[in-house]
Amino acid sequence: MNQVRNIVWWLCFITTAVCVQTLVPCLDVLAAGLFILLQERDYKNMLWLLPLFVLIQEGAGTRLFGGAIVWYCAVIIFFKIGQWLFEVENFIFIFLLSGCLVAPYYAINWLMAPLQNLPFDTRDTLDKALLQALFLPLVWRFLVITRRRKIKADKNETQ
Amino acid sequence: MTSRRILIIAGIVLILFLGMYTWNQRTRALDNIASNIGLEVTGAILSSMRAVQDTVTDFWNRYFDLVNMHEENKNLKTHVKELEATLLAVKEDQEELKRLRNLVQLPVDESWRPLGARVLAGRMGPNAILDSITINRGYITGGRPGTPLVTQQGLVGRVFRASAHTATALLITDPASRIAVFTQNSRALGILTGQGAGKTLELNFVQRDAKIDKGEVLITAGLDGKYPKGIPVGRVISVSPSNYTQFMSIEAKPIVDLQHLEEVLLLEPTGLAHPVSEESDSPPPAFVGPPAPQSPAP
Repeated sequence: MNQVRNIVWWLCFITTAVCVQTLVPCLDVLAAGLFILLQERDYKNMLWLLPLFVLIQEGAGTRLFGGAIVWYCAVIIFFKIGQWLFEVENFIFIFLLSGCLVAPYYAINWLMAPLQNLPFDTRDTLDKALLQALFLPLVWRFLVITRRRKIKADKNETQ
Repeated sequence: MTSRRILIIAGIVLILFLGMYTWNQRTRALDNIASNIGLEVTGAILSSMRAVQDTVTDFWNRYFDLVNMHEENKNLKTHVKELEATLLAVKEDQEELKRLRNLVQLPVDESWRPLGARVLAGRMGPNAILDSITINRGYITGGRPGTPLVTQQGLVGRVFRASAHTATALLITDPASRIAVFTQNSRALGILTGQGAGKTLELNFVQRDAKIDKGEVLITAGLDGKYPKGIPVGRVISVSPSNYTQFMSIEAKPIVDLQHLEEVLLLEPTGLAHPVSEESDSPPPAFVGPPAPQSPAP
């Protein structure tokens, strides 16, 4: 039952994330879900969720396949590095991590643009990276609250 | 030892990634998988969301309709009487229009079939680099890559990538968009290029001796074979000789409001050739604007 509830939670998250992404161009809401997976060390669900995240972002996007893989790899690497230094469930850690992710977001856009013969707009990319950095901690905070409620409900059910 | 191992692993991963990227660039295999799964999932979610949105809006509107029905009913009755009188006059005009059309024999382009599509979203996700929209038609419902998109006003763009029931369309404002166009009055040929979302369009390769006026409409030339001939694309806003090239420097703005698109028409090629008139000397007929969408059933 807990597993079913967990899957339903993730499906609701993906649906909401896709809807939110339609409102703000170039925003990645699914990355906040990856934070949750890494925090909970839920590698079993990550096995199907991470490829789904990559396929959704690559499918909805207009860039050649590959950018989302590098982006999510960067998220995982930065998270793992931060894990050595900080408490991962702390808001400050997520805030700093999101700030640090501005660099890979910018770098991926800068590297991928010439590979596809696309013009690169420095200011536009930087704006989007900063927007992403500001948005992620807020989404993460909201997700953590809903996850806690779900965990509490699961505990009550087992008791 | 550990750092050396990390470097080796990083090198192998980089080589594997570049190999995958190059292979995909050549075969588009991974792009097709991503489109068929990712775009389809996204399309299904957004279509359902739009359906819920429509239902709620419809319910809300009906509620308000009910509240205001009595008052409206009175007004409508008077309106109906007025409209009946107007309808009689319009019928006469319509008959006249039919007669006039027959008289000038305006060609109807049968080589393109219009299909209505709904805009589901604009640019979506971190990979949406190009100026694009997502529509609710895919390669099995008429939205094959390359299919032109129009509104009743003019050209919107063309389908860039498609899954079974959802597609991503490249807008004319994207810097990667190139369209062969004519100026409507002076018939000067040029290539229209986008400069990004919300920015003007740039008309390149127009000869210096071309007499182009400000406000002139740009129409598709049909020479590239990608778009039907004669669809309005933009309106000239500035004309001056270029300081850097031997061509004119012309800026235009799109005729269609691309920021507020809700529905579009896809022009699906039917495979039929242009109707050839019996008089062989006459030039091939031009496309007379995008066909109007069929009126919804009452």
